[in-house]
Amino acid sequence: MTGKFPPLTINRRAALAGLSATGLVGMHSPAFAARQKFVTANNNPYDLLDPHQLFDIGRIAVRLNMYDALTRWVDNPPRLENWLIEKVTISPDGKVYTFVIKQNVKFHDGTVMTSADVVYSMERILALKKGAYGLFKDVIEPGTTKALDPRTVQFTLTKPFAVFMAVLSELWVVNSALVKKNEKNGDWGADWLSKSEAGSGGYALRRYDPAIGFQTARFEGHFAGWGKNPIDDAEFRGVLETATRVLGVMKGEFNTTDGYLPAEQMARMKENPNIKTWEAESIRTFYFIINHWKAPLNDVNMRKAVCYAFDYDGFNNKILSGTVVRNNGIIPNPMWGAPKDLQGYTYDLDKAKYHLSQVKNVRPLQIGAMAGYPQSEQAAQMLQAGCAKIGLEVKIVSEPYTTIAPKLNDRERAHDLIPLWRSAYFADPHNWTGFLFNSSNFDAGNASYYKNPRVDELCNKALIITDQDQRRVMYEEVSRILVEDAAGIFINNTKFHGAFTKNVKSIRFCPIGDAQDVRWIEMQG
Amino acid sequence: MRMRRLFRDRALLIGTVIISILVLVAVFAGPLATFPDHVTGFDPNHRLKAPGWQFLLGTDRMGADIYSRLLFGARLTILIAVTATGTAVIIGVPIGLIAGYFDGWASEALMRVSDIFLAVPQIVLAIAIAQTLGPNIQNVILALSVTYWPFWARLVYAETRSQRNEVYVEAAKAMGASPLRIMVMHILPNIAGSIIVRTTIGMGATILAAASLGFLGLGAPPPAPEWGRMIAESREFLPQAWWYATAPGIAILMVVMGFNLLGDGLRDVLDPRIRRGGGDGR
Amino acid sequence: MRILVLALRRIAWMPPTLLGLIAIVFTISRIIPADPARVIAGENASPAQVEALRQKFGLDLPLMQQFMRYLRDIVNGDLGISLYSQRPVVEDLLGRLAATFELAIAAMCLAIMIGVPLGVVSALHRNRWLDQVIRLATMAGLAMAAFWLAILLQLFFSMTLGVTPVQGRIDGWGPDQITGFYTIDALINGDGETFGKALRYLILPTATLAIPAAATIVRFTRAGVLNALSSNFVFYQTAMGLPRRTIIWKYILRSAFIGTLTQIGLVFGNLLAGAVVIETVFSWPGLGLFAYNSILQSDYNAIMAFTLFTGSVFIVVNLLIDIAQTLLDPRTR
Repeated sequence: MTGKFPPLTINRRAALAGLSATGLVGMHSPAFAARQKFVTANNNPYDLLDPHQLFDIGRIAVRLNMYDALTRWVDNPPRLENWLIEKVTISPDGKVYTFVIKQNVKFHDGTVMTSADVVYSMERILALKKGAYGLFKDVIEPGTTKALDPRTVQFTLTKPFAVFMAVLSELWVVNSALVKKNEKNGDWGADWLSKSEAGSGGYALRRYDPAIGFQTARFEGHFAGWGKNPIDDAEFRGVLETATRVLGVMKGEFNTTDGYLPAEQMARMKENPNIKTWEAESIRTFYFIINHWKAPLNDVNMRKAVCYAFDYDGFNNKILSGTVVRNNGIIPNPMWGAPKDLQGYTYDLDKAKYHLSQVKNVRPLQIGAMAGYPQSEQAAQMLQAGCAKIGLEVKIVSEPYTTIAPKLNDRERAHDLIPLWRSAYFADPHNWTGFLFNSSNFDAGNASYYKNPRVDELCNKALIITDQDQRRVMYEEVSRILVEDAAGIFINNTKFHGAFTKNVKSIRFCPIGDAQDVRWIEMQG
Repeated sequence: MRMRRLFRDRALLIGTVIISILVLVAVFAGPLATFPDHVTGFDPNHRLKAPGWQFLLGTDRMGADIYSRLLFGARLTILIAVTATGTAVIIGVPIGLIAGYFDGWASEALMRVSDIFLAVPQIVLAIAIAQTLGPNIQNVILALSVTYWPFWARLVYAETRSQRNEVYVEAAKAMGASPLRIMVMHILPNIAGSIIVRTTIGMGATILAAASLGFLGLGAPPPAPEWGRMIAESREFLPQAWWYATAPGIAILMVVMGFNLLGDGLRDVLDPRIRRGGGDGR
Repeated sequence: MRILVLALRRIAWMPPTLLGLIAIVFTISRIIPADPARVIAGENASPAQVEALRQKFGLDLPLMQQFMRYLRDIVNGDLGISLYSQRPVVEDLLGRLAATFELAIAAMCLAIMIGVPLGVVSALHRNRWLDQVIRLATMAGLAMAAFWLAILLQLFFSMTLGVTPVQGRIDGWGPDQITGFYTIDALINGDGETFGKALRYLILPTATLAIPAAATIVRFTRAGVLNALSSNFVFYQTAMGLPRRTIIWKYILRSAFIGTLTQIGLVFGNLLAGAVVIETVFSWPGLGLFAYNSILQSDYNAIMAFTLFTGSVFIVVNLLIDIAQTLLDPRTR
């Protein structure tokens, strides 16, 4: 059965009233028996808890529930909220951001958060060079972030960056005193924080086993306060087998699982009377990176040939049984900046053959599929079969993402074609355009080694201007050029298919974080 | 007379039949397959179909015919088994012969090295090697050869030790034959029986190990119709697509059993010392 | 005295074996890859990080010197840092040892409970239909891909009948850690419910793991009993007019059992190795699943440490069993 959940709204006044109480509920509370528990079975193992080392959406529950950042995304389409921030001042040149953080934000050990914690967190990201490092490395130099007073922090950017507020949603603030206490040989507490927690988020870590998952209890003293019927205990388990997760939700052992199940499993859940399902178009495009660096893929005809050789309908509607939506360009359909009238490629072998015939020195191509991600492998097979029909040989190698990822930033070693997703780390067209296709981002985010002066110009300009309508026009033009240039094989936009036990009353889905933010989940009493 | 004896042994008969079928299937995969293009091709309109007249063993996640893929998978299986086992034999037998024939620290060292290899679970070493080299068929073969050669080295060593003081070896020595000649022309033919038996059984073990590596994602990339990989792919679609894992699993079972039966049967024929002893410790 | 010598000889052989194992893993990790620093640093590392690592591990030094360093680290219990979690790999491995051992020991017990009686029956019915059936089943047990059997069992018992959990080690969190074996810890805590749960989760992986092991034991037991039956000793006893039952129970079984015991080390090693695939299918949080996850994350240090660790465990377990067997075997007494 399918139902739509009304968004849960927090009564601000009630939230403020909750501020007076601190400490974990339940530890001393006599009402222990009535505690409400919410169990999530995730497809990824929670083998790491460090918020500055994790960056994937699959395990965002760790960050969203135990940590807070300066800004936070909510709802769909995503909206950016000032989360830890009380006041923002941006210098006229768009390079200096001064934030006053909210008063009385407490970490789980009772320490009050100060600007020094924000500074430490920023420096830690820049030093560890993992997780969200890529978002900040071009605009923030180590040592330039300043704590002006206990509640004021100042970031000085190396250049204007219109999406800075948006990427701050990945600057998770850690309790610097606590982490420093656990540092070993200058490791920024990496070993300790990989299995512990030093956050201020809505839920505090109670128990952790890398092989099982983690258990949290609600942090009564959270600065944003609580609604009237919040979840008390939130548990997250890594359960690798799809069938187990599905069976577990059906039996009520788990309250939910990941929202990107194969269609067959989803169909089973929909038939089950104990389960509520919820669909939403996410902002996560699936496409093939095309490596423009190496001939013959530097020839637009060659790229068009492969674009016409992919069976979009067969993949989206048959292999994936229509669980996704065709996306003609790189920017997800629901995102502003995606042109509504954009014409994409179709599966047209005659056109593919024509374009292939225009290419000199054709050679066999290589696809690097992501091992462990069936959809990536299946897309690779789909393209291989299409190319075979136009007489183009394609070889598939299947490698773990951790092996593929670094090659993305190495033009000589990169595979010719890589089927993968571009998730939303922040909801701004820049996430899909400037980051991926600006030639200034070679060896960093631009894994296509695509270069078009007009695209570079538009992307650069759109990062300086802050007016959304002006920026929209620019990104729409970029989208069209990318399709015209066949910069990648753009395939679909993902749909979120959440399955919850029936006693879950409401959730608040946001594509950045799916529905893993337990704060917004309400269950029947 | 000898042929009758050969076929009186049921194990040998059944084993021979199974392996013959495997070879025939591998050779004639093309004509036997109902969808010969489904090694790389598929039809998304018929995805995850249960077995029936059109698709004898059902279809997979891409809509490819599992029966046809299974047949082509037999080629891959033979390729891996023969090359990996063959390489292990080529490495192991000379080492065993040399170490067995000569005395001295070199012989001792060679055997100690093989002991150490045998002291570690084979699949664990194979995983480490396959991971270092990267996932593809050649590396699976290499990983398995490197981990399996000590079995042959050990066997040949022991056999050579028991043979080297036999009269025929002494006679050859007396006639001035070189050690190489004695080893190759005299000892080797006498221990060939045991080597063949061990090799036959080793084929089965190699197939199982290769399937495990494929299952763990260290084998051939898609769309190679590798049996272990097919089983791994199926897990996402359980319990609905019960046929997906069933067929490749039975194929592995039959082939490995075929090699084991053949090996047992051959042992009775070729290895007179334990013929009909009933003690089949391996 | 002789026993002591035998035992000491076995123990003396252990250090060189371990050293050899370390040499093999060193070869795989430092000599086979074209650029070990690149591989160890992980694919995400920048050239500067790779260079730093080369310095830190002395990968530019002569091989012998590198090996000595490698050895020194291992002696100090340092198997490296997981590239992925940044934790010392030893920590994760030790944390998962109990899960794997619980599974392997349970499987071992089950395999003996099935294998020994079947082997004896098979031998006593030699070449009759019961023997043929058992031998065929044994062959099948040895020829089956363990991961496939696991999937079939899941499909039937967990997904169709719903009597066992599909996977996992327990629903939620285990009992308070004492031995790390959930079943035993639950018993110590007097928690019957948790014990029952842990047992339910243990059934399928144990069965899957036990089947090939049981098949091996059947073969050895059968061979052992047949040998005993044909021995002059039994022939003599029969001639003396001792009842067949007494002979079987008193003499044949005892010798057969000792014969089986000699193979337990081998079987146990196979169990540990089999755990890699079985734990993957059942998401059993032991060493095998750790290895599988490390493969998926290309966590090179973790895989090498796993190889070294499992290899050493295997060597030590074999040694202990060998010594035990030396002590038990009347022939060495």
